[in-house]
Amino acid sequence: MRDAPPNLDSTLLALADPTRRAILQRLTRGETRVTELAEPFAISLNAVSKHIRMLERARLVRRRRAGREHFLSLDPAPLDEAAAWIDATRAFWNARLDALDAMLEAEDQAASRTRKRKGPSR
Amino acid sequence: MSAGTTSAASHAAVRVTRRFGASAERVFDAWLDPGKASKWLFATGAGQMVSAEIDARVGGSFCFVDRRGGEDFVDVVHRGEYLEIDRPRRLVFTFFVETYSADVSRVIVEITPLGTGCELTLTHEKVPNDYASRTQAGWAGILDGLAGIVTPNERNHPCCT
Repeated sequence: MRDAPPNLDSTLLALADPTRRAILQRLTRGETRVTELAEPFAISLNAVSKHIRMLERARLVRRRRAGREHFLSLDPAPLDEAAAWIDATRAFWNARLDALDAMLEAEDQAASRTRKRKGPSR
Repeated sequence: MSAGTTSAASHAAVRVTRRFGASAERVFDAWLDPGKASKWLFATGAGQMVSAEIDARVGGSFCFVDRRGGEDFVDVVHRGEYLEIDRPRRLVFTFFVETYSADVSRVIVEITPLGTGCELTLTHEKVPNDYASRTQAGWAGILDGLAGIVTPNERNHPCCT
């Protein structure tokens, strides 16, 4: 059973918003100026900035200053960690349920052998 | 630990579904009968379940000890508490692997009869470590969002599909 990464909750909370997901999606194409990032959204730059700050706090996004320009880039590590936890947890339970299935099967086979030994009831 | 007040919507969760040929009653009982549960629940192929204690009531606890390794063995202790027991439809419990971690998980088992067999849906939630900072934000669509994001490495993030 894998431990959840320490920022799993803040990672998934950060992902719980379509604007933030769209920002991350845009950043998968590479480093982007903040102003450029905010362009496609109907909401104000201020509102976009709030979303960006949340992504920064979750360490999903890094900021680089070059003069007056701010550039953002995606940090894939928290996403990778969240995905790894999800995978490991699913694998753990799939293995347990496989074992449950096998145990129930074995019970059925044992019961069926007992019935055969006893023969048809009169 | 009691975590019954929170809605299922606010935690990181993983969901798995499985069909069984056995009846809902048999599948449900396999979780709470120590003789049966010790064969599969926290058992690993490599280990040997040396102890399985179950106090099968709401508020009751369980303890499974899986012995792993040869001469230098480790006893991996799984502890937890039952929050809901509604035979044969619903079972909710918390657990943590005491040997390795303080991380607590909540597991929700829902069983639906299907013909002579049944379908089991298991939801595993990580219980937040810090209750105070827990928000009411909904997680619906979270895992869909995760699947939709591709890292610069172009690697797909598989998730609950």
